[in-house]
Amino acid sequence: MNSPNPTTVAASPPETPPRRRAIRLPKDRQAIVDNFFRFQSLFGLVAVFLIAIAVSPSRNGENVFLSSGNLANIVRAVSEIGIIAVGMTFVILIGGIDLSVGAVLGLAAVGSATLMVDSGLGIVPTVLIVLFIGTAFGATQGAIVARLGIQSFIVTLAGLQAARGIARMWSGGLGIPIAYGEGPQEAPEAFSLLSGSINGVLPVPALIFLAIGVGALLVLRSTAFARHVYAIGGNEKAARLSGVPVRRVRVTVFAISGLLAALAGIIHAGQLNQGSPNDGAGYELDAIAAVVIGGTSLAGGSGSMGGTIAGALLLGILNNILALNNIDANVQLVVKGLVIVAAAALQRLRPRIA
Amino acid sequence: MTDRPLVRMTGIGKRFGGVHACRDIDLTVTAGEVHALLGENGAGKSTLINVLSGVITEHDGTIEVDGEPVSFAGPADAQRAGIATIHQELDLVAGLSIAENMFLGREPRTRLGTVDIRRMRRQAEAHLRTLGADLDPRRLVGSLRVGEQQLVEIGRALSLRARVLIMDEPTAALADAEVERLFATITELRRAGVGIVYISHRMAEIELIADRVTVLRNGTVAGSVDPRVASRDDIIQLMVGRSVDALFGEGRNEPGAVLLDVRGLAVTPRRPVPGRTEPAGVDLTVRSGEIVGLAGLMGAGRTELLETLFGAGGSGRRAGQVTIGDRPYRPSGPRAALARGVAFVPEDRRGAGLMLEHSVADNVVLSALSSLTTLGLVRRPLLRRTVAEQLTTLAVKAASPSIPVATLSGGNQQKIVFAKQLLMRPRLLLLDEPTRGVDIGAKAEIYHLLHRLADSGMAILLASSELPELLSLCDRVVVLHRGRTVAVLPRASATQQAILAAANGDDVKESR
Repeated sequence: MNSPNPTTVAASPPETPPRRRAIRLPKDRQAIVDNFFRFQSLFGLVAVFLIAIAVSPSRNGENVFLSSGNLANIVRAVSEIGIIAVGMTFVILIGGIDLSVGAVLGLAAVGSATLMVDSGLGIVPTVLIVLFIGTAFGATQGAIVARLGIQSFIVTLAGLQAARGIARMWSGGLGIPIAYGEGPQEAPEAFSLLSGSINGVLPVPALIFLAIGVGALLVLRSTAFARHVYAIGGNEKAARLSGVPVRRVRVTVFAISGLLAALAGIIHAGQLNQGSPNDGAGYELDAIAAVVIGGTSLAGGSGSMGGTIAGALLLGILNNILALNNIDANVQLVVKGLVIVAAAALQRLRPRIA
Repeated sequence: MTDRPLVRMTGIGKRFGGVHACRDIDLTVTAGEVHALLGENGAGKSTLINVLSGVITEHDGTIEVDGEPVSFAGPADAQRAGIATIHQELDLVAGLSIAENMFLGREPRTRLGTVDIRRMRRQAEAHLRTLGADLDPRRLVGSLRVGEQQLVEIGRALSLRARVLIMDEPTAALADAEVERLFATITELRRAGVGIVYISHRMAEIELIADRVTVLRNGTVAGSVDPRVASRDDIIQLMVGRSVDALFGEGRNEPGAVLLDVRGLAVTPRRPVPGRTEPAGVDLTVRSGEIVGLAGLMGAGRTELLETLFGAGGSGRRAGQVTIGDRPYRPSGPRAALARGVAFVPEDRRGAGLMLEHSVADNVVLSALSSLTTLGLVRRPLLRRTVAEQLTTLAVKAASPSIPVATLSGGNQQKIVFAKQLLMRPRLLLLDEPTRGVDIGAKAEIYHLLHRLADSGMAILLASSELPELLSLCDRVVVLHRGRTVAVLPRASATQQAILAAANGDDVKESR
């Protein structure tokens, strides 16, 4: 990567030498302003990180926030929302929205538990089936949006209800606990890895999140598909007249979102050792918040995957530091609201093209 | 006809930047008169009516209403003075009823302060009756046909006690029967002493209803005549002026074999869209190396024909045959069209041609992405090279390929649209008003480009409302009227008069 930070790559066109020069030689004030807004979520992340270090309580002379255990907890806590937000970024880039992801997460958690515990399937078939269900669910929503021309807000609002209903029917309305072992009604031991860590430091869900994030970053940076995504969000009519397969891209984008929501659901089941049909309620809103804080425009056509990842981490750090200082959970919600508005307000200040 | 002028405009002038949109124009409207305003695009008609309707507030010259000098601070002032405008794009709210639209913003109130629905309905009904319209005022405007919506607009003007009514191309979107009804309404209004400023491109209509014709050309009055005395040729001569200077010399290559062959092409839309004229019997051919012009009045169906040929038109039943090369051609969409070597530069550059906020490079490569990728991955160096080449070939003036297209001038934006389509190496290039909103320098460059492309063997079909452009560029001009081919004029016999006559000619026979 030739840019100073991956956060910017998705939004930046391939030829950026003037930009890079501007960072090293900040003579041009306009360039400073431009780059500030481009790196906005990264600056935000660094700022929140530094504030968190400053206000962190310390125990035995050690900064609690900076302890490896705490940092690992933060990444673990944001991994599910982060994975969903990655999918959400694609959807929002084409100017859509996916409200069904939280419910699909619940459906996937129930599916994982049921298939392993009740149906006695192994991990691989279970994961494949659940991922397929999520993908198919997303693709169906995408097809309805693309074919019938209904707004994605409405289609996925309906999808949210439907996925939640299916999850409750499948589970009988109750959470299905996952016990591990070799016997009947027991899931393979390996599934519990999802609640573990590598070398006792890096939580497995965090690893998956980072892998997905980096993968999505590369997709958005380097593929023709990504350029089609940006084009549709930028001007759908122009994209269609330029030969962009608008419908196919739409369906694919919603399928990606469904796939990643299902993946988050599997992780969810692994971390909690159960699959409950009510899991993931409201996750869609946290995911949208991460995307918005990351600087992606809800109007579509502009934004970056790096921003989304930074946005998810920023929300996680915020929650963590407020909790470390024993600040009431309800206050945390208010602070989260303020941060979202502040991030959006910063975007409004962004220099606009006449 | 009385001689007392309702409105007298004297010495009206307006500059936009350094350009005179109109200069020293005099215009009077008397009670009970239909005063037609004619002129080509850019002749200054819109500017003049915008001054009269209070949209343009700063201008030279004076306006008198009933002999009293007035100065409008906005459209509301003009309305209060009794001047109402019916724009081509109707200003109605589709989700509200006829009565609600007529009284929008000045609804009659009851003593309690609520809207007096009954009174509103009664008054709306009365106005509709005056216009001879049998419409229930409770109907939603969105469910009305365009002609009926126009009547609602006129009804609103009546409810404002308008004494001068400006109508901007009122028949552009109307069917024949609706045109007749509109003319009956105009006759009614004239009898009631309303003065009407009537703008249209259709000569036949003007002969039918105008009492006086003022022709604008290049922002000034070219002449004011009585249509019952002046012949149609006289009026066209006034509009066009002296013969047009060709922008460049000739010396073109001989055209090759027929590339595009269209026979009896017609589209019957499943759901007709108001204001669209789908092809209704188009015959034309374009040889490779040939530039064929597409002429016609507004609403003749030029854009719709090009869209149909690009697979981007309205859906519906298709009749007739289209072949490209020797194979039948029936594109399922723009993607399929591009795959067959057909490219399209749409009329609405900003709305349909470009992603304005995206970079020059992103726009240029959008269509040709698949040729710039390996396994779905973009080959950056190749992409960069391709963009650079394309920008050089078309002499695009852009500081860098990474700046947003929106920062470029109109001419350079248009070159980006061309660059994007030309990267597909098309055999047939469909152009819809390719020089609209482009300055004269960029215009000449685009003309040169088109000649170069034709000389390299490309077939070009070009729709334009600027007749001088068609005449100087095209080997042949196909004239459309209401979606049908009505004339094919070879270069030798194509003159502005001939094209306009053809575009209007059948109008007379039909509307009777």
